[in-house]
Amino acid sequence: MSTSFPFTLDGQTHSLTIRARRPALVVEVDGRCYTVSEDASGVPGESTLLIDGRPHRVARTRESDRVHVKLDRTTWSVAYEDPVTAAQHDAGGDDVLRADMPGVVVSLNAAPGAAVASGDVLLVIESMKMQINVVAHRDGTVENVHVEVNQSFDKGTELVSLHPST
Amino acid sequence: MLDSILVANRGEIACRVLRTARAMGLRTVAVYHHADRGAPHVSLADSALELHAEVPTAAYLDAAQIIAAAERSGAASVHPGYGFLAENGDFAAAVEAAGLVFIGPQPEVIRLMGDKVHARAFAAEAGVPLAPSALMEESFEAFLDAAAGIGLPLLIKAAAGGGGKGMSIVHDAADLEARARTAMSEAERYFADGRVYAERYVEQPRHIEVQVLGDGRGNVVHLFERECSVQRRFQKIVEEAPAATLPAELRARICEAAVKLATRANYRNAGTVEFILAPDGEFYFLEMNTRLQVEHPVTEMICGVDLVEAQLRLAGGEGLPWTQDAISVTGHAIECRVCCEDPARDFLPATGRARVLREPHGPGVRFDGGIREGQPITAAFDSMIGKLVCRGDDRTQAIDRAVAALGELTLLGVDHNIDYLARVIDHPAFRAGALHTGFVTEHADTLGAPVLDADARAAVVIAAALGVDDFRRLAYDIPEPYASIGGWRN
Repeated sequence: MSTSFPFTLDGQTHSLTIRARRPALVVEVDGRCYTVSEDASGVPGESTLLIDGRPHRVARTRESDRVHVKLDRTTWSVAYEDPVTAAQHDAGGDDVLRADMPGVVVSLNAAPGAAVASGDVLLVIESMKMQINVVAHRDGTVENVHVEVNQSFDKGTELVSLHPST
Repeated sequence: MLDSILVANRGEIACRVLRTARAMGLRTVAVYHHADRGAPHVSLADSALELHAEVPTAAYLDAAQIIAAAERSGAASVHPGYGFLAENGDFAAAVEAAGLVFIGPQPEVIRLMGDKVHARAFAAEAGVPLAPSALMEESFEAFLDAAAGIGLPLLIKAAAGGGGKGMSIVHDAADLEARARTAMSEAERYFADGRVYAERYVEQPRHIEVQVLGDGRGNVVHLFERECSVQRRFQKIVEEAPAATLPAELRARICEAAVKLATRANYRNAGTVEFILAPDGEFYFLEMNTRLQVEHPVTEMICGVDLVEAQLRLAGGEGLPWTQDAISVTGHAIECRVCCEDPARDFLPATGRARVLREPHGPGVRFDGGIREGQPITAAFDSMIGKLVCRGDDRTQAIDRAVAALGELTLLGVDHNIDYLARVIDHPAFRAGALHTGFVTEHADTLGAPVLDADARAAVVIAAALGVDDFRRLAYDIPEPYASIGGWRN
């Protein structure tokens, strides 16, 4: 009963623990307890969620390690990593910058050995008819550039790798 | 009267045109690329023909295949929608050469207005106001001199351009040459035409455009103006009709200028004349779009008309459906373009799958969609997947309805701008009508996602957690019943 589940919203991880199931479900989030009940609406993926007696309209769908949620009037994407995936990620790190979408390389602004700061434009790509800057997600030194100007790439392609952070 | 139509487009505009054509009793034909075989426009038509191309967009740009499809299906007319071949004079000419009716203007008018340099000269002859400008005619150096002579800031644009491609604002004389070269190379890449021109950049401009309809014999009516000042990446995201605030006299002059231009061109079918409105009340011709616009529904909602029906009747030889006196404005309408993109990351286009899609309903609410639930959203096509259009008795009611409808509109499985659009139109400056094309940049600080308190964050993560089987199993002893799991299982 005391298993805790990590859910990450906008970079901040919250720890959820089920504290009671009967007579009502009680979920503890970061040390605060909430009484929860949920009624499915009959429409797949939609429900009414009561949290401490307050009703919320919910639609949601799970996609691998994320749960997409519309809660009342706003949309959120919440990350949930099961223990196995989390262990794999810990072994990998954040050294490789991959393409979010397919596209073509328009220009390269970084070469191996270059020192870059978080937010620096490493390369410019074109995708969905738009030119898009691909920026460094952390400070570091470029280890390798895996693409060339005018090269097409698919979603997930390695674009630039940084030397492992120390 | 036309008896059949092929719609040479996809997505929401293909659905939009097909619906009216069906309602009018026309036999309808859709075309599609394999990637779109499950798209709604395919099943809306009486028949659908596949276009073959390696790259999906190339299929909808393949004039020869589309005309062959029209001939094979026996369709008597072709509606191009917007984008793709809609403003391609050669396509319009080829359609007519095949003995089919092109639902749009004459090919030579499309070519005239498609060349920004010629269109400007034509507008000047028609007595339509133009911003001071410099054209690249002889040498690059002469162009730089002339451009510098206009004064800063300057806007550099592609002669063959549109959609913000090859466009650049120059604030510093030292940047002029480099920006001009970049614009030329972008223009060459996007339009295979490296010509650019420079014009005075109006600070805090508003984008006002006028809907016109012509019969091709010199008779033209206008259906008043739309305001499309809220833009990102030089592309509109929120449009409304009538304009947020516009003195009656100025509105009359702008509409009159549009009619003058269209009349001089013997304009046929539906078109839009776009203007830049400066804070001092001066307005300048921007361009004429020789097609139905994305934002045409706001005009339909305030004028109580169906512009596609008018297009089909005009193309069928019926003449103008209304006299100018019969066209009047009632209420206010707002359109929000729903795009798969991430507003927090400079509107970076997003891909994914529309795992959950719920359209909003209510009085005055219209959703023009073009995808179905479950459909993949790929980088192959434009990121706009639909338009929410709301009408109210006045601007405030239209905004209120649109804010509520955006709150109801649910799209899960791909990043989108729905929440962002609600913040834009609910922003005090938007509600006050203080619009200009830099609105989104000016108010960037107050348009970000709201910061949630601890209880609100808890509600979000609890809602998410109940969608995870491991968590549900512990919470309820049993996995979520299949009836309430929804799309994520398939």
